[in-house]
Amino acid sequence: MQTTNVTRRKFLKAAAGAGAVLAVPALVPAHVLGKNGAVPPSEKIVCGGIGLRGRGMGDLHWLMGQPDVQFVAICDLQKRQRQIVKEYVDGQYGNQDCAMYPELNEFLAERTDLDAVLIATGDRWHALASILAMRSGKDVYTEKPSSMTIAEGRAVVETAKRYARVYQTGTQRLSEPNHVFCIEMARTGRLGKIHTAYAHIAPWDAAQMRHDWLPAVDQPPKDEVDWNAWLGPCPWRPFNPGYVSGGWRGFYDFHTSCIGEWGAHTFAQAQAGLDCGETSPVEYGYVPNETGDGMVTTFASGVKMILSRGDKYWHGSCGERFDGTEGWAAAADGYSRPDVSSPALLNEYKKVIGEYVARTGRALDHMRNFLDCVKSRQPCVANPAVMHHSMTTVHAANICMWLKRDLKYDPVKDEFLNDDEANRLRSRAMREPYVY
Amino acid sequence: MWKTIFTLSLAAVLLAAAPAVSVAQEAELIAVLKSDAPQKDKADACRELTKVATKESVPVLAGLLTDEKLAHMARNTLEQIPDPAADAALRDAMGKVQGRLLMGVIGSLGVRRDAAAVDAIAKLLGDPDAALARAAARALGEIATTKAARALDGALAGAPAANQVDFCEGLFRCAETLEAEGQGAAALAIYERLRGLPNAAHQIRAAALRGVILAKPKEGVALLLDAIRGADYVLTTAAARIAMELPAADVTAALAGELPKLPADKQILIVNTLGYRGDDAAGPALLALAAQADPAVRLAAVRNVTHLGYVQALPVLAELSLNAEGELATVARDCLANFPGRDADATIAAMLSNPDVKVRSLAVEMIGQRNAAGTAASLVKAAADADEAVRLAALKALRDQAGLAELPALLNSLVKARSAAELQAAENALAALCARQSEPASGNIVIVKAEYGDLPAGALADVTEKVTELVKAGAMTIEASNGNFGDPANGTVKRLRVDYTVNGVTVSKTVREQELLTLTAMATPPAVVDAICTALDAAPLEAKLALLRTLRTAGGAKALQTVQAAAAASDEQVKDTALRVVCEWPTTDALPMVADLVKSPPSKTIKVLALRGFVRLVPQQDASEASKLESLKDAMTQAERNEEKRLVLSALGTVPSAGSLAVVVSHLENPVLKEEACLAAVAIAEKIASSHRAEVAAAMSQVSQLTANEKLAARAKALAGQAKQ
Repeated sequence: MQTTNVTRRKFLKAAAGAGAVLAVPALVPAHVLGKNGAVPPSEKIVCGGIGLRGRGMGDLHWLMGQPDVQFVAICDLQKRQRQIVKEYVDGQYGNQDCAMYPELNEFLAERTDLDAVLIATGDRWHALASILAMRSGKDVYTEKPSSMTIAEGRAVVETAKRYARVYQTGTQRLSEPNHVFCIEMARTGRLGKIHTAYAHIAPWDAAQMRHDWLPAVDQPPKDEVDWNAWLGPCPWRPFNPGYVSGGWRGFYDFHTSCIGEWGAHTFAQAQAGLDCGETSPVEYGYVPNETGDGMVTTFASGVKMILSRGDKYWHGSCGERFDGTEGWAAAADGYSRPDVSSPALLNEYKKVIGEYVARTGRALDHMRNFLDCVKSRQPCVANPAVMHHSMTTVHAANICMWLKRDLKYDPVKDEFLNDDEANRLRSRAMREPYVY
Repeated sequence: MWKTIFTLSLAAVLLAAAPAVSVAQEAELIAVLKSDAPQKDKADACRELTKVATKESVPVLAGLLTDEKLAHMARNTLEQIPDPAADAALRDAMGKVQGRLLMGVIGSLGVRRDAAAVDAIAKLLGDPDAALARAAARALGEIATTKAARALDGALAGAPAANQVDFCEGLFRCAETLEAEGQGAAALAIYERLRGLPNAAHQIRAAALRGVILAKPKEGVALLLDAIRGADYVLTTAAARIAMELPAADVTAALAGELPKLPADKQILIVNTLGYRGDDAAGPALLALAAQADPAVRLAAVRNVTHLGYVQALPVLAELSLNAEGELATVARDCLANFPGRDADATIAAMLSNPDVKVRSLAVEMIGQRNAAGTAASLVKAAADADEAVRLAALKALRDQAGLAELPALLNSLVKARSAAELQAAENALAALCARQSEPASGNIVIVKAEYGDLPAGALADVTEKVTELVKAGAMTIEASNGNFGDPANGTVKRLRVDYTVNGVTVSKTVREQELLTLTAMATPPAVVDAICTALDAAPLEAKLALLRTLRTAGGAKALQTVQAAAAASDEQVKDTALRVVCEWPTTDALPMVADLVKSPPSKTIKVLALRGFVRLVPQQDASEASKLESLKDAMTQAERNEEKRLVLSALGTVPSAGSLAVVVSHLENPVLKEEACLAAVAIAEKIASSHRAEVAAAMSQVSQLTANEKLAARAKALAGQAKQ
């Protein structure tokens, strides 16, 4: 707590030096007293991490680069990974203060000083960890996908609402200028009436998923890798280091297929431009291939969103494209500017982005948007409702591919129409004791 | 043996595409579960059974609930079986399992909302196994009957501190379901109970407050204000979040009325809340803070009046843009530039009549940045303002916005420019207009004819239809390849020629096989050129020079003719400018005159400029490689300075022939030109390596030894090796 207090004074001093004489809050902030849950505008946000590696380390770097963040603790079921994060954090701060925790419930219960947590575990843990963290009073930035099933997505929405928590999924393209431009061009009618959106799905793996087990290998000591915790709510299977080192992708228990791998990003992007951020398609057309490439999904308005695996509509990863009666716009990773049907459309690039920022107040920086919302308590751009509906599209498209038939869906009730078998795939029982 | 049977059974199930539940499939999977199959196979069978299981599967699944290895998978299936037999099986298992497995069973009973299990689960609320008691609380919350809620309520007071959050979670779940099912009073009682809980965790306090306020809309506003005013910042932030869920106007009024009484941090929080809620009734209160408050509060207020689109804020934003300091001025300016709505456009346009020149300049700048449809007329008006600063700002904005409608006014500004700066601004705006008008897009391109093959006279194919189709699909670059157009002239290096019009102006382009043909145009619509030419006649000298330069950007036959005619003018300045424009002309139609200027230049300066233009235009010609080579050889003889010789060498690099390679090689020994010659030699060699092996091998050996560029040397060595094979 001492560290936080000192940091807060430094922050206020820095702010004053920059010309802004911030009023000292009339209250002693809750977290200074050892209770989290509320961060006045002039305060630092105290953060912890859960399961950071690879992408998570990138997120951590991003998070710690923000001037109003103090990162204080890491929770990871892998000893080596806890140490890597601690070394990084301590190196950044020049101290030895980053605390390490192997067990999630203990971490969440003990660190009442945390305002927010960064979650970048494997996909299977995202929703459960988010729910547990929000229930313990933390705000959450979690990597995508936000859920493994439709039911998990709903539970995230309900928990965030219940406890008035701020939540953001790491679908960072929703905050990147080129994608924002395309989304806003579509949303504001500048492309005419939109009839079709295209959303990129990963060009590797398949929609059909693996159910096999890798060969059993002796488990390492629990302190090195807690295999039971690694599996979390998923069905038990014997240990194999291949899973732990990233080889879990492609397995039904742990992954959401080639559709979810990128669709977790691109469906949210496409649905934002279609103004369908808080609904899902009502029809899914089965395509007789291995991947879902070309699947046509249809919203209640009649607008189509088509899943596309190749590079026909873009020339980078995680692209989306909007086709309207008066033109089209597309963006993907690596673009200096979006692709458009007419160069004249780009004349409004700065204006469109500027209007978006003025209208929403959202930063064109996904992490910054999250931190701003932690203070303002506003919903983030990738809030639970938005992510639930775009991930519902992912899950429903997967179910469509698994059952090999067209499906109809009611996005209000979150249920398939006249298809009991599909409805049974909306949820999975959680393995005890990993139950929310 | 078992494995085979199972695999066949499972395969049969997986292959069955019919949606109807198959009794046979279910029976086969049940048989797997009853057998002595390994854990993996039984787990797979459970997973498949989940999709089709009926009450017939319940007995075998019930038997697995006590199996440490398969209980989870059995529950997974049982959770999906609609028959009450599944509930009974799970309830029955409660008496048979303990610890972790029991936790799973009650979780599944919760998922199934089995009201008959409430009593049994409620007994676990006091279990010494804290994790089990917590799971029981959550399960009761899922079941969410009044009985379940009563059980939780009764146990809450005695729950250990470590279990309190989960017990509250159970009660919240109950309240939400009861409310959704029309039992609002019961829900409210739960929320009130939790709100009064002593020493509750902050999230419980926040959630309870939310529940009470949402359940009591009439008293809600007063509760919100209490929370905002109170000393508990957790509840203050919760109130802000809750207010975002309440659209009612009285919430806006209450929050806005409270604003002046709050300290800075709370003001920022509530200002952001009001901005998010989007009710512009909050505008006056935010505006008051934007004008006078703590600097951080003012920033938030400025941003949020903009979110609201509160038009009355525009004069304040303008005032802050002009007179505030630092970040506040920057943010106010950004907000003004991006303020939403057409009303804002009109309000800003009206600022053009403000007597204060600073306000008028700001208005012009904002109109330019906002780039709203229909506002160019305002800029035209401002371009005639009495104040030069306003006129310059207007012309700067018109550079980005002026269309054909603004052409006469722009020409007028240019011809009547009152200062060099104004003339330059008008020239820039006019040139930008010309460039914009000539920008090609798939919508304004018409493909006249496209041919692919051994051009000009060999075997070829008419590919007009294909190119038209590609352009219609949005393509602005087209690859000259057999993949696109087939192979009409096997064994030859083919070319693609496309004749097209942009805005009615004809353009023709040719590229070699495997190259990209980019559809561009350097010609504006004839009406623009006509207007410039007309203005030219009566323009004063400096304006005339500017118009001549603008014609270079406009391009096209008439523009070139006009410039060429001016090159014969008696006025030396007009003549010099016109000659320079010809030398810098972007398309090959100027080439004959440029060639003449190379041979008979009126001055040394023009000779240099003409030679540079000649070397630039020759490779663009739709001519044979031999013809281009001869022209460039001629240019080399005319070049007196190394700068131009380097340009010629570079141009030779684009002419792939043994002749051009020979010319380039002849300069390899010149220490001043060596590197440019090496670059050109490699560029040529890469294109003719297969047809002129000996020449390429010799030249590349030389280059690899002479160049100081290591990467180039490596490319040359590779080419030499390739040519020797």
